[in-house]
Amino acid sequence: MTFTYPTSAAPALEGIGMTIEKGEFAVLCGATGSGKSTLLRMFKRELTPLGSLSGWVMFSGRPLEELDDRTSASAIGFVMQHPEQQIVTDKVWHEIAFGLENLHVPKDDIARRVAEMASYFGIGPWYDKDVSELSGGQKQLLNLTAVLVMQPELLILDEPTAQLDPIAAADFIATLKRLNQDFGLTIIIAEHRLEDVIPAGDRLIVMDKGRIIANDRPDKVIAGLRGRADILCGMPAASRLFAELDGEGSSPLTVREGRRYIESTYKNDIRKAETAEPEHSDETALEFREVFFRYSRESRDILKALDLKVYKGEIFCILGGNGSGKTTSLSTAAGLLKPYSGTIKVFGKKLKEYRNRSLYRNCLAMLPQDVQTVFLKNTVREELRDSGADPEKLPFDITHLLDKHPYDLSGGEQQLTALAKVLAAEPELLLLDEPTKGLDAGAKLNIIGVLKKLRSNGVTVVVVTHDVEFSALCADRCGMFFDGRIVSSGTPERFFSESSFYTTAVSRMTRGFYDNTVTVEAAAELCRKNGRRLS
Amino acid sequence: MRSFSEYDPKVVALYFFSVTGLAMFCSYPAITAMTLGGGVLYYIVRNRRKRIKSHLFFFLLFLALALINPLISHNGATVLFVMNDNPVTLEALLYGINSAAMVVGVLYWFRSFTEIMTSEKLLYLTGTLSPKLSLVLSMALRFVPLFRRQSAKVSDAQKAMGLFKEDNVIDDVRSNMRIFSVLITWALENGIITADSMAARGFGTGRRTQFTNYRMRRWDYLFLAADIVLMTLCIWAAASGAYTFEFYPMIRYRGSAEHKIIGEAAYGILVLLPVIVELEVNIRWKYLKSKI
Repeated sequence: MTFTYPTSAAPALEGIGMTIEKGEFAVLCGATGSGKSTLLRMFKRELTPLGSLSGWVMFSGRPLEELDDRTSASAIGFVMQHPEQQIVTDKVWHEIAFGLENLHVPKDDIARRVAEMASYFGIGPWYDKDVSELSGGQKQLLNLTAVLVMQPELLILDEPTAQLDPIAAADFIATLKRLNQDFGLTIIIAEHRLEDVIPAGDRLIVMDKGRIIANDRPDKVIAGLRGRADILCGMPAASRLFAELDGEGSSPLTVREGRRYIESTYKNDIRKAETAEPEHSDETALEFREVFFRYSRESRDILKALDLKVYKGEIFCILGGNGSGKTTSLSTAAGLLKPYSGTIKVFGKKLKEYRNRSLYRNCLAMLPQDVQTVFLKNTVREELRDSGADPEKLPFDITHLLDKHPYDLSGGEQQLTALAKVLAAEPELLLLDEPTKGLDAGAKLNIIGVLKKLRSNGVTVVVVTHDVEFSALCADRCGMFFDGRIVSSGTPERFFSESSFYTTAVSRMTRGFYDNTVTVEAAAELCRKNGRRLS
Repeated sequence: MRSFSEYDPKVVALYFFSVTGLAMFCSYPAITAMTLGGGVLYYIVRNRRKRIKSHLFFFLLFLALALINPLISHNGATVLFVMNDNPVTLEALLYGINSAAMVVGVLYWFRSFTEIMTSEKLLYLTGTLSPKLSLVLSMALRFVPLFRRQSAKVSDAQKAMGLFKEDNVIDDVRSNMRIFSVLITWALENGIITADSMAARGFGTGRRTQFTNYRMRRWDYLFLAADIVLMTLCIWAAASGAYTFEFYPMIRYRGSAEHKIIGEAAYGILVLLPVIVELEVNIRWKYLKSKI
C-alpha cells in the first residue's frame, strides 16, 4: 500500500505490506512524522485522510470499503491522543451511550451494555458526573469505554497515553493487556512511551519515513535495530542497555529480564563509578519560605509550608504525583496565584517588590503545561516577531518551521517554538511545566540538550515533571513533591538510588549490583568496566 | 416515595407550564393569589430556611411592581388621594398588586423549576422533540465551560510570558482581543478532533436512538393524570367566563358561582400538588425511621 497526501510530493506511506492476526497485540513505533498516524487511519474507514491511495486493506477477509457503515463504525474502534477533545457530550453516561445511540440500538440494550461496561471498568462511582470533573486518566478510560461498548473486533489506539502521567499511562496499558487476554481483542497501538507497552505486545512494528523497517516479535526486532540510535532511544531501558553493550541473542525488555541479563553476563565486582560532587553557586535564584496556598477559604491547603531553594545556574526538577501541588508551586512563583502566608523571593527580591509586571521583564518566564496556550498567531514567523524573538540568535534551530501554523507542529516542535517565544524576553529564571509531555524520545533528548545549553548561558531552570527518566538525564538536583511540600531533594544519582519506587528503570535494574546508577550510559559504563563473565 | 424533583422531567415540565401558563393567561385575583402562595410555599418546602436573600429580593420586587402602577396609571373611579395634582385610585392600586403578585408568583415557580431542571433533564426534554437538537445542546453545554477554562489558561500563559508588559488598560484590552481570536482557532481545531471521534463512532449512519436514564413510573402517571384533569377543569372554568375580572373603571366580575368554585378549587389543588408529594415523602421517611 502506498499513500500520498494531496499537498505533498513524497508519499506518506510507501510499500506497506503487513498482516495482523486475530487476537494479536501489535505495537507500532517510530519517530514523529514517520507515518504512524496515517497508517492507523488507513485501518479506520471513517478517518482515512484524502489523498491518492494504491493498494488495499482487508478486514476479516473483506475489503474495508465493502463493509456497511454501521459495521465499519462498530467493528473497528479508534482511540486518539487527546483525552479532552474526543469526548462529545457533557455527561459520562451519555458519552458511553453515544456510539450505541448512533447505531440505533434499542434503549434497553443500550442500558444493559452501558451498565456492563461501566462496571467492568469501575466507572460506576463517576457514572453521573460531568465529564469536565474527570482527571486526564479517567477521561482516556472513558474514551476507551465509549469505543468498547460498541463491541469492536479490532481496537486501534493512536498514542493514547501521550497526555497522561506515568501512573495513569501504566494503568491504561494494563487495561489494554487485560482486554487482549480476557477477550482476545485485537489491538494495534502506536506509542512513544514504550517502556510499558512493548513487554505487553506480541508484535513490534517499526516505521521510518513512511516504510515499515521491522515487523516481528519485540525482542527480535530490538536485537535487529543495532546502529539505529534514533529509534533505539525510545525503547525500554533494558533493551537500550543491551544494545549499548552489543549484547547477543534476544534482547531483554523488562526490568526483570534486564536484571537477569546483568547478573548472568557481567562480573559485577566494581560497584561504583567515580562521580564528581556537583557544585552550585551560593546565590539563590528562587526561594520559597514556608509558603501556604489554598484556592478558597473553605478548601484545603495545596501548598503546606513549602520550603525550597533553587540556586543560580542550575536545573532543578520537581517530581511528584498528580495533585501534589507541583504546578501550583510554579504558578505562585510566577505570581499568577497569591499564597496566603509565607514569602517567595526571586533573585533575592520578594515577589511583591516587583511592581508593574517588572517580574516578567528580563527576569522570570513560565511555560505552561499546555503549550498550545502560548500561541496567538497564524505562523511561527509571526509568533516570533510578535514576541520580538530572533530565530538566528536562539540556542537551537527552528528556521525550517517558520512558515507553518503553530497548531500543525509536532509536540516537540511546539515546545521548541514556545521556548523561543519565552526566551525573547531574556529570562534569567525559566519555569517549565511538563515540557516532555507527549514527546517522542528523540524530541526529549533534544529538549534536554536545549536546557543544558541554556544553563551554560547562565539561565536557571525549574522543571515540574512526571518524567523520571528525563529528570535523571538533565537535572542538577531533583526534589520530590508530596502533600504540598518538597519532602526530599538531592542530585539525581543520590535522589533516585535512595527511592525504590519513584525511580528510573535503570536504577531498579542495577539495584544490588551497582550503587548510584540511574542512567543507561552510566550502567553501560560500569558493565564494561566489570567485564563479562567467562563461561 | 420520590421527591417531586425526581419525577420524570416530562411530568415536571408539563406541571410547571400548566401552573404558570394558567396564572399568566387568567388575570384573576384568586388565581394570582394562589400562584403566589403556592409558589412561595413550595419554594420554602424545597429550600427550608435557606435562600433568605431571594425572598427579600422577591418581596422588594413585589412592592416596587405593586406601587408603580397606581403612580403611573390614573384610571379608576375611587380616588384615594391626590398627589402632585394626579389622582391615585384604589382600582389602579389593586391592579398593581394583582399583576405584581402574578409576576412574583410566576418567578417563584420558575426559580423552583430551574433548580429542579438540571441541564441533563432539559436535554432529555429537547431529545424527545428532536434527538439532533439535543445532541447539539449537549455539545454546547460541554463546550462553554471548556472555552472559558482554555481562555483563562491562555491568559495566564501569556501573562507569565510577559505579554501584558505595560500595566495599563489599553494594553490589557488589546491582549485580550488577541487571546479571543486565537481561541476561535483553537475551538475550530478542537472541533476537527471531536468530529473525527464522532464519525469513528458511527455518527450520521442513519437513525439515532435517544438513550436516557429516565423512565415513567406509577407515580409519574398518577401525577400526570392529576395534572391533566385539574388543568382541564381550570381551562373549562376559564372558557365559561368564570375568571373574567375587570379592574377599570370599577371592579366588576361575572360568571356563575359554581364554575368559579370548581375552577378555583381545581387550581388550588394544582398548585399544592408538589407540596403534597413532598409531605407524603417526609411522612413516610419519619414513619420508616420510627420503625428502624
